[in-house]
Amino acid sequence: MEILVSLTVGALVAIGIWMMLDRGLLRVVLGVVVLGNGVNLAVFSAGRLDGRAAAFVTEAGAPALAANPLPQALVLTAIVIGFALFVFALAVLKRSWELHGKVETDLVTAVAEEPAPDLPPQGDKA
Amino acid sequence: MLASIGLIAFAMLAAVPLAARLDQRAGWLLALAPLGAFIHFLTQMPTVAGGGVIESTLAWVPALGVELAFRLDGLSLLFALLITGIGTLIVLYAGAYLSEHHHLGRFYAYLLGFMAAMLGLVLADDLIAMFVFWELTSVTSFLLIAFQHDKAESRRSALQALLITGGGGLALLAGLILLGNVGGSWQFSGLSAQAIADHALYPAILVLVLIGAFTKSAQLPFHLWLPNAMAAPTPVSAYLHSATMVKAGVYLLARLNPALGGSTSWGTILITVGAATALVGAVLAIRQTDLKRVLAYTTVTVLGQLTMLLGTNTHYGLQAFAIYLVAHAFYKAALFMAVGSIDHATGTRQIALLGGLIRHMPLTGFAVALAAFSNAGLPPFFGFIAKEFKYAGLIELGLAGWVTTAVMILTNALLLTAAGLVFVRAFLGREGRYPHPPHEVGVPMWIGPMLLAIGGFVFGAFNNLAEVWLIDAAVQAVSRATVPVSLYLWGGFTPALLASLLTVALGVSFYLQRTRLRRRLSLWRVLWRVSGDRIWDRLLKRVFAFATRVADRFQHGSLRQHISALVLAIAGFALIGLFASTGEDLAWPAVSSPVNLAALLGCVLAVAGAAAAAVTPGRVALVATLGASGLGMAMFFLAARAPDVAITQLMVETLTVIFLALVLRRLPPTRLVGSRKPAAKRFHAVVAIVIGAVVAAMMLMTVSQPLPGEIARWYLDNSLPGGQGANVVNVILVDFRALDTLGEILVVGLAGLAAAGLLAGGRREDEAAPGAGATEGSADFGSVLLRQGILPLSALLALVALMLLWRGHNLPGGGFIGGLVAASAAVLVALAFGTTRARALLRVPPLAMLAGGLGIAAVAGLVGLFHGEPFLTGNWIFPAGLPLGTPLLFDVGVFLTVLGAVLHMLLGLLEREA
Repeated sequence: MEILVSLTVGALVAIGIWMMLDRGLLRVVLGVVVLGNGVNLAVFSAGRLDGRAAAFVTEAGAPALAANPLPQALVLTAIVIGFALFVFALAVLKRSWELHGKVETDLVTAVAEEPAPDLPPQGDKA
Repeated sequence: MLASIGLIAFAMLAAVPLAARLDQRAGWLLALAPLGAFIHFLTQMPTVAGGGVIESTLAWVPALGVELAFRLDGLSLLFALLITGIGTLIVLYAGAYLSEHHHLGRFYAYLLGFMAAMLGLVLADDLIAMFVFWELTSVTSFLLIAFQHDKAESRRSALQALLITGGGGLALLAGLILLGNVGGSWQFSGLSAQAIADHALYPAILVLVLIGAFTKSAQLPFHLWLPNAMAAPTPVSAYLHSATMVKAGVYLLARLNPALGGSTSWGTILITVGAATALVGAVLAIRQTDLKRVLAYTTVTVLGQLTMLLGTNTHYGLQAFAIYLVAHAFYKAALFMAVGSIDHATGTRQIALLGGLIRHMPLTGFAVALAAFSNAGLPPFFGFIAKEFKYAGLIELGLAGWVTTAVMILTNALLLTAAGLVFVRAFLGREGRYPHPPHEVGVPMWIGPMLLAIGGFVFGAFNNLAEVWLIDAAVQAVSRATVPVSLYLWGGFTPALLASLLTVALGVSFYLQRTRLRRRLSLWRVLWRVSGDRIWDRLLKRVFAFATRVADRFQHGSLRQHISALVLAIAGFALIGLFASTGEDLAWPAVSSPVNLAALLGCVLAVAGAAAAAVTPGRVALVATLGASGLGMAMFFLAARAPDVAITQLMVETLTVIFLALVLRRLPPTRLVGSRKPAAKRFHAVVAIVIGAVVAAMMLMTVSQPLPGEIARWYLDNSLPGGQGANVVNVILVDFRALDTLGEILVVGLAGLAAAGLLAGGRREDEAAPGAGATEGSADFGSVLLRQGILPLSALLALVALMLLWRGHNLPGGGFIGGLVAASAAVLVALAFGTTRARALLRVPPLAMLAGGLGIAAVAGLVGLFHGEPFLTGNWIFPAGLPLGTPLLFDVGVFLTVLGAVLHMLLGLLEREA
């Protein structure tokens, strides 16, 4: 399991980063999701994988080989937050398409970094 | 003591609304705050004059030994009285001076804020607290100097002042931290002079603290900002340059004199820098044609003299310091205010245009006369005593003293000349050529100068009064050992008297020869070309150019380059870490749990789905592959005995697919994958593979080690007895670590708000009507059978959601999962029947649900507070054996927040789409 998980995390991170290096902003956003999945898996596994029973306890006490509940709680909220941020990123993507007609990272950067109207033009910034 | 600062801070808060209702009359009301503080400090005088100190302490950062410690001794009392007393008069004056200004309330607020900060500075006994107030004075003075921010000059001056004093503040912070560590105490009163003097770091402390003090008190070469700060309205100049801002540096020197002042270097540096500053200030003052700038440069001179006097550490020198501090604050505040009045009444401050004003402004003129006499150091004014003591103090030093005495005589003579310019030139002689016909100013504008000028006379003539109540205690606070204090006007025929006579003679001749003197000075062209201001401008330009170069290098705007650089750097550091650790850690895992088939399948699905999503160009395929990847994750979690996580992942994947599909419909298809250039593509592949390999190696190393610590066991053991729940994951979320969860649902809520704002924002004009975007349901769900099926299904889902919420404390489920399931139910309805129907069915608007959820969660936490326990402590009751507790209420809050956030985003998106 340890080796399997390590390789999976590595693969997800590699794929996520690769997607974030894409020209299209959409794939960048999806890359964040894949990278997030990889990181969630890493946090989860950091609690070790030797659990043989889910983390439920009874009056008699916890099972001897219960899974580590703490990383589970951390990952659970991380998934929900990741989802909320993903929708936010989608909204930004959609908005930039509507406003500028661009979904390519470099072009979006170029239009987004137009100087603010109340600043002097770039020429005499010194 | 604390209350006096609080009172002024409160007046600051009240200033804007008050001024909006009462205009300049608000000044009379607001002046009550500093007046009250002034009276408070007056009542403390008997205690302090009797040698006592008053202390009050508030814990601030107890773990670091930092306290809001305040201590009122002679020096603090002297300053506190000046700050509040002159402050009262300035507030009154400002009301009349700026009566026309539309931001008068804001001005009052800045002024009072500055006053509170300054008062805190002189009262604080704690090093760190003092520093915080020190910085606050920098910030508030920035606001005051930049008050007329529509003028470029004001903005430049304010920035200059902030950069110089702020930069000095950084040095001071470093110096204070060293001082606290070396001196063995974080209180000024507890510093051990011996330990500091013997420590190897003494020179560093000295230099850092002196940079801080010199920048604040405008000592050479940091004196630039002070005259430039004259761009501020006159009340500001009168306040900042007489009693407060610039004196803060001198105050700090005086405060630290007992702790740091034992060395020769202290005396040498202070006397040298002080003398140079005094000289430069005096020479520049005579060259000015603007009355206010004359005064500004004489302030530089005075600050230099005060620094010199502290450097002497002689009995007379320290007495002179305290006397001159008061004398200068009195006459300089009076003169500044009077010059403002002249400006107000005649429309000019140019010396050449003024003259004969005494006929038009008798009251102001009388005040100026008294103040100018004190300034010139003529008997029987307080300034005279100060001057006599200055000479006596320097002469006490011996041979070196004579050189400095010469500087002192010269600068004092030039001060006398400046005083002549202000009174004789402006008020006597023939009528000037004023832009406006002059008139006497109103009561609030002449009362201040008058009171202060008379004060200078009273303290001079009845100097016993000042000695007993103020000067004695202040001198003892500054000195390293007890100093006998005795003030007098007539000390017999002493060298000091001789120096005094010389000063008057020189000063009068300078005044009479002022035109020739100025012409002479102008001949030294080379000297004036080395203007500090020009150097400053050039320096600032260089700094900005450098910053631009650096920023352009790193902030080039290419996301891909940023990510590549970041990722490679992370990989590099991780590799260093891997190799730096012992070799055996890199070995193949020692412990290995058996591979579970479901987990293997999940992993394969997660990776394969992600890989497919990375290379597929089609939109539908993208949605499907990403969904499959998430499904794989859920499968793995299930196999790894984490049912709660698995269900959450499953629900999130469902919603992700829905959102993605809705948004993708509106976006252009993505035909190309990766970069256009093959080289860039290869480089990106290398980057991805490198980070993937490094992360995999790190993971391997981590998970193959046994888990240290007993945290997991603790949670497992305490979940049921402490948290009344069998589902440990849920108990952690809503009880043990509920504060984390509260923060997390706040993030979810905020992301929901922001996303919905972006999705729904910027509607076209014709859509602006509320509800215009409401949809009637998608045609894709047009089938009657489907529609008939969806309603009961949604109802069932909603029931399931509630059940999941309820049982979550003991079985898989809980607020997060329940909220997501309920959201799915609502999403189904919204897709099939339109948002109007969905909103009607929900009854409560999603936004209210979101806010209500956060509120409920917070309220659930407050219950613990009422029982005197920490925030979010679980409280349980057992009606009829049923366990009910605040963690369950908290979970309801989580449920509502998640549901509200998701629906808020989704309905916004759907309505925008229509």
